Amino acid sequence: MSRNKLSREEILHLAKLTKLHLTDEEIEKLSEQFGETLDYVKNMDELNTSEVEPTSQTTNLENVMFEDGQKNERRLDYNDALKNTKKKKDNMFVVDRIL
Amino acid sequence: MKINLLGKSVVQLRELIKKKEISAKEVFDYFKKRIKRFNRQLNVFLTEAEYKENKNINGELSGIPLAVKDNYCTEEIRTTASSKVLDDFIPPYESTVTQRLINAGYLLLGKTNMDAWAHGSSTETSDYGPTKNPWDLTRSPGGSSGGSAAAVSSYLSPAAIGSETAGSIRQPAAWSGIVGLKPTYGRVSRYGVIAMGSSLDCPGPLTLTVEDAAIILKEIAGNDPFDATSSPKPVEDYSKYLGTKKKYKIGIADEYFDGLDKDVKKEFLNSIDVVRKMGYEIKKINLIHPKYAISDYTIIQRAEVSSNLARYDGIRYGHHRTSFAFEAKRRSMLGAYTLSYGYYDAYYKKAQKLRTLIIEDFKKIFKEVDLIATPTTPITAIKLGEFVKYPFFGELMDKLAEPSSMAGIPGINIPIGFDRNNLPIGMQIMGNYFEEKEILNFAYQFEKETDFFGVIKKGINNYKD
Repeated sequence: MSRNKLSREEILHLAKLTKLHLTDEEIEKLSEQFGETLDYVKNMDELNTSEVEPTSQTTNLENVMFEDGQKNERRLDYNDALKNTKKKKDNMFVVDRIL
Repeated sequence: MKINLLGKSVVQLRELIKKKEISAKEVFDYFKKRIKRFNRQLNVFLTEAEYKENKNINGELSGIPLAVKDNYCTEEIRTTASSKVLDDFIPPYESTVTQRLINAGYLLLGKTNMDAWAHGSSTETSDYGPTKNPWDLTRSPGGSSGGSAAAVSSYLSPAAIGSETAGSIRQPAAWSGIVGLKPTYGRVSRYGVIAMGSSLDCPGPLTLTVEDAAIILKEIAGNDPFDATSSPKPVEDYSKYLGTKKKYKIGIADEYFDGLDKDVKKEFLNSIDVVRKMGYEIKKINLIHPKYAISDYTIIQRAEVSSNLARYDGIRYGHHRTSFAFEAKRRSMLGAYTLSYGYYDAYYKKAQKLRTLIIEDFKKIFKEVDLIATPTTPITAIKLGEFVKYPFFGELMDKLAEPSSMAGIPGINIPIGFDRNNLPIGMQIMGNYFEEKEILNFAYQFEKETDFFGVIKKGINNYKD
């Protein structure tokens, strides 16, 4: 049994944050497995990182800019951009009502 | 057909096509025939491509058919990342890697099976069923580029494109008994590759020979205005460099021997003896233990997965989020947890700092040695179904590749022998940032010396015409 086992409420909160649907069986499994994983990664505390700067990018590139006036060849036209949608209307995506 | 094509490398096929001894269409049809015959039992291809003439007949890859992992967007050809979420997704654009292959004259053979979203190391999290290991159909080919690895080792394709976040090229290459190169992060553009861990993802080739890997890398590498993290460093002529005589000093780290299967250890040490006899200096080194890289990788990767999978809203393309299978849910949610208020410092930020330590560790060691040799995987191919026993199976199977992936340095898998069950064993060679040419050169010399102990040829001969 894991020390860090997450509660059902915590799992449901994470499912809400990530907009994912879970079965009861999955909730049970995840609360146990997250605990095991969080137990394992505690070993990071064995190494002293108090004076260390964090890394988010490994090859030291800085401020890569898109030049003004350059042609944006990535841009898709309406037809291409809408090709894979299930619901469209007047060249627009149809989304669920949120208000 | 007069010419026996079985087992011919990309370089050999290219030569035959150039001399007009065989046409590109005939080569394509040869592989189509083999796919028709063997794909049912191996489950390598999710989508097969039809022959489409490539007008460039003077490119480095003119007429060469290649299999491509199903996380590369291919214009007008279904791309699923092995997830039902993208079951009917037809990309309206081409990834940079496949565009460069088109420019070089290649022909797409088909899209290969993988772990869904590249989450896994056995190709079993695919929503389209597992790929079988060509050496033993009851086993996994490794993953996540398992379809690409199996395609090459069974010669359903003369080479393939895979992608690696941490181990996903090298590990299936080891388990399937072929060559697999993970380049430096940023050496090859990620544009149009369905993202898993954006600070880690690296496209790369899986091949029968080191020379083929060198040739394909040169074609796909280089700066890309569509990927701001791609490196502006000039691309080198990797294949021209092969055979250059150099006195490499090779580091061997004790920390990478923990938990090795005894046959893996034996064959690795045997290969190190070969390397020594070839005249290279072997030096004992110490590196941060891979058990810490497992934690570092787990945290960083899940955080990036959580962010990357958030874009699948089922509105612009693909299906609703209810189509996500268990593994993607698990990763997204743990990522959300470690990025949450209150946990961020303890997990995500801590992992970013540990990443700095791992980088510094490699930088220091590469002042002492030129290359580092380790086994690629702690064990050989597992039985299908066994992976569910491990809560983070992939991270454990890839533990020897994770430190280098966290650092962003390149590495290659090469076959070095068999275990007691006649399954291939792999060795990885890692090098400093952007030193792919040194890794390839060393691997090439090793190949010349050993012919990889016959592993690759034996694999292909299990699937005769």
